[in-house]
Amino acid sequence: MKVFRRLKYWFDSSRRGESLGEEIEIHLAEKAAELEADGMTAERARAEARRRFGNVGLKREESREIWMTRALSELVQDVRYAWRAMAANKAFSALAILSLALGIGANTAIYSLMESILLRSLPVADPESLVVVNWRSRPPQNANRQWEHVIHGVQGILWPGDKGVLVSGMFPYRAFELFRQDNPVFSTVFGYFNGRSRTLAVHGQATSVNTEYVTGEYFHGLAVSPAAGRLIESDDDRPGAAPVAVISFAASQNRFGGAPAAIGQSILVNNAPFTVIGVAPPEFFGVDPAAAPDLYLPLRANVLVDGAGAARMYDDENFYWIEMMGRLRPGVSMAQAQAVLEPRFHQWVASTARTDGERARLPALMLNPGDAGLGGLRREYSKPLYVLLAMVGLILAITCVNIANLLLARAAARRREMAIRLSLGAGRFRVVRQLLTECVVLASLGGAFGVLFAIWGVRWLTYLFSNGRENFTLRAELNWQVLGATAALTVACGLLFGLAPALQSTRPDVLPTLKNVRGGGPRRRAQHVLVIAQVAMSFLILVAAGLFVRTLDKLHNVQLGYARDNILLFSLNARQAGHRDPEIVTFYTELRKRFESVPGVSSATLSQSSIINAGHAGKTYRGAMKIGAVPVTGARVMVAGPRFLTTMRIPVLAGREIDDRDHTGSTPVAVISELLARTYFGNENPVGRRITFVDDNRDLEIVGVSANLRNGGLKQESPMTVFIAVTQFSPEGMTYALHTAGDPLSYVNSVQEIVREADSRIPVTNVITQAAEIDRTISRERMFAKLCTGFAVLALLTACVGLYGTTSYSVARQVGEIGIRMALGARRSAVVWMVLRRVVLLAAIGLAIGAPAALIGFRLVKSLLFETQPNDPGALAAAGVVLLGAAVLAGYAPARRASRIDPLVALRHE
Amino acid sequence: MGRKPRKNDSLPGSLDMLILRTLSLRSLHGYGIVQFIQQSSDDQLLVEEGSLYPALQRLELNGWIDGVWGVTPNHRRARIYKITEAGRQQLDLEARKYAKLTLAIARVMGAQ
Repeated sequence: MKVFRRLKYWFDSSRRGESLGEEIEIHLAEKAAELEADGMTAERARAEARRRFGNVGLKREESREIWMTRALSELVQDVRYAWRAMAANKAFSALAILSLALGIGANTAIYSLMESILLRSLPVADPESLVVVNWRSRPPQNANRQWEHVIHGVQGILWPGDKGVLVSGMFPYRAFELFRQDNPVFSTVFGYFNGRSRTLAVHGQATSVNTEYVTGEYFHGLAVSPAAGRLIESDDDRPGAAPVAVISFAASQNRFGGAPAAIGQSILVNNAPFTVIGVAPPEFFGVDPAAAPDLYLPLRANVLVDGAGAARMYDDENFYWIEMMGRLRPGVSMAQAQAVLEPRFHQWVASTARTDGERARLPALMLNPGDAGLGGLRREYSKPLYVLLAMVGLILAITCVNIANLLLARAAARRREMAIRLSLGAGRFRVVRQLLTECVVLASLGGAFGVLFAIWGVRWLTYLFSNGRENFTLRAELNWQVLGATAALTVACGLLFGLAPALQSTRPDVLPTLKNVRGGGPRRRAQHVLVIAQVAMSFLILVAAGLFVRTLDKLHNVQLGYARDNILLFSLNARQAGHRDPEIVTFYTELRKRFESVPGVSSATLSQSSIINAGHAGKTYRGAMKIGAVPVTGARVMVAGPRFLTTMRIPVLAGREIDDRDHTGSTPVAVISELLARTYFGNENPVGRRITFVDDNRDLEIVGVSANLRNGGLKQESPMTVFIAVTQFSPEGMTYALHTAGDPLSYVNSVQEIVREADSRIPVTNVITQAAEIDRTISRERMFAKLCTGFAVLALLTACVGLYGTTSYSVARQVGEIGIRMALGARRSAVVWMVLRRVVLLAAIGLAIGAPAALIGFRLVKSLLFETQPNDPGALAAAGVVLLGAAVLAGYAPARRASRIDPLVALRHE
Repeated sequence: MGRKPRKNDSLPGSLDMLILRTLSLRSLHGYGIVQFIQQSSDDQLLVEEGSLYPALQRLELNGWIDGVWGVTPNHRRARIYKITEAGRQQLDLEARKYAKLTLAIARVMGAQ
């Protein structure tokens, strides 16, 4: 109640103030009237009334202060005073605010990214009760390094867990049914799997969209309500149900001009007809923060879209593909659910094992929190983000130390002011509080500008993070949580850099200061400690920058073995538009010839994916291979069209490359890479020999040997490659490559035109140059190198400002001493050296502290480096040299100034 | 004025109690309260006028009295204070405390 009345008072405090003034005036008038009636003159009566009342202004002040707490009114005073102090020292304030804005802004931007990737919940009702169902298992290879596991096939991602186990979220359909039937711990269980890109045709316009297959319980389990129409229900997810689809809100806007307009529309998904029955709400993006499906189809509809063969997936107990989440019943904890479901799953999965080896490595059920959705993005980015956060944290710490240092120097100037205030009876705590208020005000301004800087920073970071990813959906924003953290950080900074100087300048030994004696040894020590800390922290950032730049450099210098420039890549999928074997092969090869006939295109080819993505994308042969009776290990198969080696500028070392002679009916052929030839044929000529594809039960004739190429990512050791002819393999989507004269992207229009003429139902996707395609596989390394270089420059500048400030200050204090030395015959060079020696010493101590910290700390980032050791001597030495050089530069100007001191002037000054 | 009326500073905090007691009898404005205390103490107690207004603010903040602009019996505009229910309870409390204290003092003073 009291608080409430106080608040009410604050709201109209000015009116209350006037009211009080009037009340007192009336009181005085009444008193005066009474005195006058007793016989005084009017004038004397008024004076007497006032005299008896006491100090009217003071009493008014006192009355008002009863409503404010004292702390608050003092705070208002302090803030006003702080404002004046800041305005009086504009250059210092501007510098401090700018550096704080950069530091706080960088922290806010990185934190908002972290918040969106690592911390944010799914935008559904009660996300805390959602759990993701996973399993973990020992590695599937037996002692002979052969696959022996109940999992015979997978469609999805496995990732490494602790202690070498494998973890995944994929299950056979039967396991999903097992959990769905009378589940005592989940109120709903729903399944889904990523359909990846499918061709969506609306009114004859075909595009490629991300598709999610979902079971009938999916939307109900997530408790999502539609933006229009209705969502997929259990009845839609049965064999033979009417083909229906739900689209994302964004897709309804782009393709139909609004959510209501989409309902009831006919669409084609991979050329199969569907009816749109509903639109998901705008904020909904499915269960994986890394993806944003535009199309949701009932699980069973995959038979319509992906062909009747997909029906096999439902009965195969050893094929793992469906992912699932459950919603806990009220009052059931995740641990309880785990205890109930784990034995149930174990019993079931044991029944699917056929050999003892399989029984020895059964997957075990593991529940994980599902409030933030699937963890792919978290797994990939949590470490880089923590590293970045540590770096921007260091930058902010350096900034704070720097400001503390400048404040210490300034505290010297204000020491007299403080001494006077203290000797006049101000409490030390009160003065410290006032000084801290100044710092917090400074920091708050820095924080406010920092938020502006962060708005821009988040945009830039999102761009860097998403570099080259299609449909990358990072929802970083400055929400209340982020701004709250920023505010807390700001205040903490203000207190951090303000406390030491405030305590220093209010030390109780005021007398020497008042007498203007030069004391202050402890302050110089404090300054030195701060400079050393700054140097050590800057060193860490410089080393980090060195390591990441070196990593990027190594990646750029990887020998690809194929052309990087002047190549245009794009993908198309004729099968999704309805082309079937054997016509699809003719379609693809005819298209290649037409691309090759474009003026400026020297050659054109096609393959199941770009070389850099081989092994991660596209349909190819992944089974066992043999040469004679010897199994081939570590080789990768690339499905290639004619003139692949020519287009990619891969030399043919023997025989020939795949060309138009290799058609569907002719002898199946293969071209192998040099390493493969050396490994399995030694010095013999492999041309004319055979390689067997065991799973396809097919022998291929080796017709040529290519030079080695780095097939797959840049970081992998160059694997052996087997090229097979696209005409002799039943292809899905294809990636074309055109070797062009001039900018590859200037050929995009011609390409679009040719594809439209050939079949307007096929969208051209993933249009990119080879160079950009390669670069985007190392986007994280590029981002780190860029960001860390920026951070390093910032840290170095800040450290230099700190060193310069400290040195200038101590030179100013030593004018007398230097004057005496020079009068006694010291040379200028000796004076320069005297000053510089201290700078170098401080920097050296900083380095001595920073180096072991770097050696220990950077072990944590080893996994982010490539062919670079965390203790890379080059990076450490470079950082040390740069830092020492910068220190000497920063110290040189004050040192030179010291050497120019005129002994006469200096001594007279004393 | 031959004798010097005693200022109310012998018992700190008793000003609040006196104001509450006065207002429990009738609602008054600031000057009226001063006069009432002076008259009913037979001019023995003189309220320091400057201290009255901070005290009134304090009582109002605590919710024991309530001030409203109105008109005094002699037709002057003034802020008239009225005791609240919480104020009456507070008065009871302070009166009891005060009685205890004066009794104790009287005992000490009466002891031989």
